[in-house]
Amino acid sequence: MLKIENLHARIGGKEILKGLSLQVKAGEVHAIMGPNGAGKSTLGNVLAGRPGYEVTEGTVTFDGANLLGMEPEARAAAGVFLAFQYPVEIPGVNNTYFLRAALNAQRKARGEAELDSVEFLKLVRAKVKDMGMTPELLNRAVNEGFSGGEKKRNEVFQMALLEPRLAILDETDSGLDIDALKQVAAGVNALRSPDRGFLVITHYQRLLDYIVPDFVHVLADGTIVESGDARLARELEAHGYAWVRERRPAEADA
Amino acid sequence: MTAAVVPFLESMREAAAQARLPGSGLAWLDAARDEAMRAFTEDGLPDQRNELWKYTSLRALARHGFAARDDEAATRGVDIDRLLLPGVDGPCAVFVNGAFRADLSSFEELPQGVRVRSLADALRDDAEPLRFLLAGRAGDDDDGFMLLNRALAADGLLVDVAGGVRAGVPLHVVHAGVAARAATAWHLRSLIELGEGARLDIVEHHVDDAGTGHLANLVCDVNVHERARLDWTIVQRAGEDATLLRRCQVRLHDEAALDLHELELGGKLARHELRVDLAGERSRFDQRGAFALHGRRHVDMEVLVTHRGRDSVSDAIWRGVAGGRARGVVHGRILVQSGADGADGSFYNKNLLLSPDAEIDTRPALEIYADEVKANHGATVGQIDEGMLFYLRSRGVPLDLARHMLVRAFCAVALDGIQPAALREHCEALLAEQLPELAE
Amino acid sequence: MMATQPDELQAALSRRYDAGFVTDIEAFSLPPGLDEDTIHALSALKEEPEWMTDWRLQAYRRWLKMAPPAWAHLKLAPIDFQAISYYSAPKNRPKSLDEVDPKLLEAYDKLGVPLHERARLAGVAVDAVFDSVSVANTARDQLAKVGVIFCSMSEAIREHGDLVREYLGSVVPQGDNYFAALNSAVFSDGSFVFIPEGVRCPMELSTYFRINAGHTGQFERTLIIAEAGSMVSYLEGCTAPMRDDNQLHAAVVELVALERANIKYSTVQNWYPGDENGKGGIYNFVTKRGECRGDDSRISWTQVETGSAITWKYPSCVLRGDRSVGEFHSVALTHHHQQADTGTKMVHIGRDTKSKIVSKGISAGRSQNSYRGLVKVGKDAVNARNHTRCDSILIGKQCGSHTFPYVEVKNPTAIVEHEASTSKISDDQLFYCRSRGIGEEDAVSMIVDGFCKQVFRELPMEFAVEAKKLLEVSLEGAIG
Repeated sequence: MLKIENLHARIGGKEILKGLSLQVKAGEVHAIMGPNGAGKSTLGNVLAGRPGYEVTEGTVTFDGANLLGMEPEARAAAGVFLAFQYPVEIPGVNNTYFLRAALNAQRKARGEAELDSVEFLKLVRAKVKDMGMTPELLNRAVNEGFSGGEKKRNEVFQMALLEPRLAILDETDSGLDIDALKQVAAGVNALRSPDRGFLVITHYQRLLDYIVPDFVHVLADGTIVESGDARLARELEAHGYAWVRERRPAEADA
Repeated sequence: MTAAVVPFLESMREAAAQARLPGSGLAWLDAARDEAMRAFTEDGLPDQRNELWKYTSLRALARHGFAARDDEAATRGVDIDRLLLPGVDGPCAVFVNGAFRADLSSFEELPQGVRVRSLADALRDDAEPLRFLLAGRAGDDDDGFMLLNRALAADGLLVDVAGGVRAGVPLHVVHAGVAARAATAWHLRSLIELGEGARLDIVEHHVDDAGTGHLANLVCDVNVHERARLDWTIVQRAGEDATLLRRCQVRLHDEAALDLHELELGGKLARHELRVDLAGERSRFDQRGAFALHGRRHVDMEVLVTHRGRDSVSDAIWRGVAGGRARGVVHGRILVQSGADGADGSFYNKNLLLSPDAEIDTRPALEIYADEVKANHGATVGQIDEGMLFYLRSRGVPLDLARHMLVRAFCAVALDGIQPAALREHCEALLAEQLPELAE
Repeated sequence: MMATQPDELQAALSRRYDAGFVTDIEAFSLPPGLDEDTIHALSALKEEPEWMTDWRLQAYRRWLKMAPPAWAHLKLAPIDFQAISYYSAPKNRPKSLDEVDPKLLEAYDKLGVPLHERARLAGVAVDAVFDSVSVANTARDQLAKVGVIFCSMSEAIREHGDLVREYLGSVVPQGDNYFAALNSAVFSDGSFVFIPEGVRCPMELSTYFRINAGHTGQFERTLIIAEAGSMVSYLEGCTAPMRDDNQLHAAVVELVALERANIKYSTVQNWYPGDENGKGGIYNFVTKRGECRGDDSRISWTQVETGSAITWKYPSCVLRGDRSVGEFHSVALTHHHQQADTGTKMVHIGRDTKSKIVSKGISAGRSQNSYRGLVKVGKDAVNARNHTRCDSILIGKQCGSHTFPYVEVKNPTAIVEHEASTSKISDDQLFYCRSRGIGEEDAVSMIVDGFCKQVFRELPMEFAVEAKKLLEVSLEGAIG
């Protein structure tokens, strides 16, 4: 589904990603771990098409199409969803209006019928209930006045509503207390399905206790330096990132 | 200065010479009108050395002459439905090309104690009570348009709400410009009085046909007495070749309040000089305004607030959006006079500049002569926030729609409080109509 | 070494306006009056080349055609330009510091400016301007080694005529405003600084201006040129004695920053403000402007204004070079009957230019204190950025504090932000300090000092100390 080959990217003239390759198939959950500054968030932003990130080398295809050549909204319509690390507040834009505009734009782009307001409200209310969120949030402005935890839950709620094919979670666990973390994880797990892929970016192993990944990759200095299964995450937790760095030259020699 | 204004000046002189204005023949009124015309002839139009006209040039206007009146204004057929705003289908006062139209107006639904008349009628019936309004001496603050208005005002609206009376239904005031034989100038002088504890809602609509090229020069005095409250919504959709000059002088007595919502969309030149005198203790002025301009529109909002009463409050927020070759000018001045202890004044203006040929000039000002005061202001000029834009797009919202959403959101603070809901929604729709053209 | 500084200053600035002594030095003055003959005489006295005389005359003729500015927020008596003497110099001009009249050195001591001490200890080269002629100039050798020229304007005109001719009036043209035109015609002396390409000036350059003789106007002309990649920090301190009549000070300062050059200009101004009844004091009408002419250049103005009966000045930056940066940091304190109208203009012309404005106003007594500023973004100034913050506090019921920003934006990629607030000095803060045992007056000083911290941080250390003391002295009697 997602195929990243030798991806180099920079922001403000500084190279962050230095030849990253990764493949995510439908139904798989991949965790990307790594120390601060490794390029984890850059990867998410590049995949979602954030302006200011410049790809200098490499390719990214999504279902065979060149993802890097698509506008952000086209990527969304194709099924790529980024749960932001820091969701921006947009005062004055009503949440319900925003969600309906987003969903209908995506449906339209895919040649599906748009939902009228009655259908949409029914759908959105059901999703609010599923996620255990307060319906009052629908009347508020996008992310405005939300606490850190509410913002993260709202991202997962949007994911549930928009039903993407590839969901990228950018440190969705950061700043959450344990209860909120469990809620977020439950939301994500409920969406796991054979035709949906996940890229879970996280600094800590904690989240992976609740969202058990199929693959774990360690990102350091812009490339993936180690890949494994869920056990790798626990080893990292036990030994720290320095452990990977120490092992790396040895493996390179071998 | 005067050399350049010849065509304009000449047309105004002619208007004065040939005028048979309502009230002509009354010695005091003739004298006041003559004096104002003399003063105008001497001063001419305000130029940009006048701080209140710093960013609005009248050189182009000065080259135009205007017809003194539209002789058929009283009888022209107009489509009244097009002039009325949704949500305000009660009493209305309609002016067409500067003439009050009794045939299109209706005041039946107004309760006892609310009296609405045209200035022309009042002058014919009994001019004496208007002497204080029309024969006042020219003040230092009077610019050329104020003088012209003193000299040439032929009509206007007089609203009087007796003490303790609540109007209950909003009064709709419509100023329409329709095509006449020539580009016409008109000058209206209005007076709104709210007695103690009275309440009134006014919804004012400026709406023009295309191609009228007229000049409307409107002056309105507003007196809100103790504990009275005026809620005022202004929707301005002047024609793209029309010049609309408004000066509004409001005095708020003890505990009186003015709550003003304003949406400014049209006009080759649309100016609103609003002077609010917070004379009374605990008097309060709130304003929420937005302008969205495209083409060659030029809007000049002068908000001049004077705190004189103790514990008086002013709170104004303006949002401006300029695209095309449009120019938006905002001046928000808070003057706190000595003795106005406890005054709290704030003026905030944010603007979006959407095109390389548009311009924003914003100028908040604080003049403080008392110490027990809180006064704040802020002004910004910038663009649509890239982070917000990306967030919307990342959820699948197309670029154009995302921009529209953000521009509407930017202006939301100005529209949110508009009542009733039908009117608010209409204002939102009017704003949305502008959006596609703004980026050009 | 800095430890001794506060004590010295303490003594120097003890109470009242202690800089207000009159130095008894014989002075040579031109008789009052201004016409073309005065300018010829002035130019001849200064042994100027013909081009300079012509330049002055040209400016004078322009000035004659100009009208004095209509004072926006200032109240002042009309100035009689014929009653002013346009040249006043100490007789027996000294050749070196040793020859300086001891009374003059004593005068600087009283000001807390121990000339040689300061030069040696603080690494400051001092070009002291006593009335109009530069009387002493230290550390020149050290500067000469790296090619820095730091001398009086008179000397520069004689010795570095080509440089002066090229740059004089190139930032502030003769006809810029009424007082700039007058200055161009009659400027008496001032400082000239030239930093050659790539040189980082090895010490802070400092000039102490002082108006001494009665009935003299002071018209300095300062020109600083920083060539590509160079860097300089220039300090200007100003004091003037007490006089019952008003003296005029109309200086012009021009800064030119070429590519990657960096100029920092700091002023502490405590000209005599007049007495508590508003009698006397300096009229301080100054045109200060810097041009970031080269790409990546930077000009930073920092000013602490506590003196003068009337201050009218707007140190400005013309950001012509791409990526150039302009800054303005200001504290303006007015007391008694002082009137200050000060601020800045940031004119964005080049791409990616940035400006920052921080203004702190304190009004006490019956004074009027105005910030007036312009941020202008031209059509081609892509990605211009400005941030402005103006805060004012009022101490007492009869003073005024005013804020008049002008924002003009013609480029849709610019971001300009202005914010301002005005309030009374906080009762809560005062009470808190007092409840901890701090007297009311000290508490006010403390709060005002905190309020100004952001600007003081921009000053060189010894100036920051002086500025803090000045505020204390200036605020005396503001409470109660």
